[in-house]
Amino acid sequence: MSNIDENEILSRLEKLSQIKPTSESTERAINRVRLGFTWGTVTRSYKIKSPSPIIKFAVAAVLLICAGFFAGWLFAAKPIDVKQLRTEIEASLRSSLATSCEQIKDELHQQVQRDLTEFAAQTLAASTTATDQRLIELIRLIDAARMQDHLRVAAALEKIEMDKAKLGDGLQALAARTDELLRTEQNTTPSKTGG
Amino acid sequence: MENRQEKLFELLDKSGASLYALLTRLTLREDVAEELMQELFIKLSNYKELRKIGNWNAYAHRIAINLAFDWRRKQKRVCLSLNNVPEIASNEKSPLSSLINSEESQEMLDAIRQLNKAPRQAIVMRYIQQQPYEDIAEQMNKTTHQVRALCYKAVNRLRDLLGSERKGIYNVEH
Repeated sequence: MSNIDENEILSRLEKLSQIKPTSESTERAINRVRLGFTWGTVTRSYKIKSPSPIIKFAVAAVLLICAGFFAGWLFAAKPIDVKQLRTEIEASLRSSLATSCEQIKDELHQQVQRDLTEFAAQTLAASTTATDQRLIELIRLIDAARMQDHLRVAAALEKIEMDKAKLGDGLQALAARTDELLRTEQNTTPSKTGG
Repeated sequence: MENRQEKLFELLDKSGASLYALLTRLTLREDVAEELMQELFIKLSNYKELRKIGNWNAYAHRIAINLAFDWRRKQKRVCLSLNNVPEIASNEKSPLSSLINSEESQEMLDAIRQLNKAPRQAIVMRYIQQQPYEDIAEQMNKTTHQVRALCYKAVNRLRDLLGSERKGIYNVEH
């Protein structure tokens, strides 16, 4: 795999281990540290100052924005799974439609019930009015028929009265004639016996 | 506060030279090593939980290694003009051999920089500081076997890193 052997690596590492700084530079470095601690100058010059809260806040904001961009990029870069998207849309539509469908059904049912009740009330009122009118008409017709009957009965009675009077007259005339005839017969009968 | 300063002076007397040598080996520059030495002791003096540190020497060496490789990482981004290239610390006398040696050393240190912290520390302590496994294990709170394994893996990884770099150079040349 690699064309460098372990011995070469170890020899290079050994070469590194053999590097030694000069004694002057070592002494200088140690003295510098010691002096720095003694006078307190080095620590001050090298101390990392704690950033102010504004800088901290700004850095936090920048980091957040970067994270947002990165997240956006991460999500945008993903290939769209059409099937999954369709399934999700379908599911969401179905759930939303199911809710609205139920609502619409309820509203429609209530509306139909209201309309039917109103129609029944109107029909009942209309039929009641019509029945009343018919009844009034019927009563009127019955009255008219009764009146007509009365008139007919009256006419018949009058005719009967007239006939009765005529019959009386006839009977009187008959009686008179019978009397007359009897008297005539009586008159004739003695002559025949006497004769 | 006084106690802290005393401890730091003690550390400086005892391990100052060793720390400076380590920094020089890892940066290959005495001027940078001097600056990093200052930074190292500032860090130690500013550290709030000094009481928790059991082994000051090991802790200082660990920080020194991290500082040196942090500096190397930052240096990757900085382009120096040829006139401003400082003299590289090396024991070789001939200019050509010095140049080759320094190039190889730079390559090796850049490869070590790419290792993880633990193997990096192990390989620096073992092969650059030439410390025995027992001492390294004590400083890293590990067993000698674990340190040996870390070193073995680190060397293998270095082989891969240096091999791939060389392959890249070879491909460019041809």
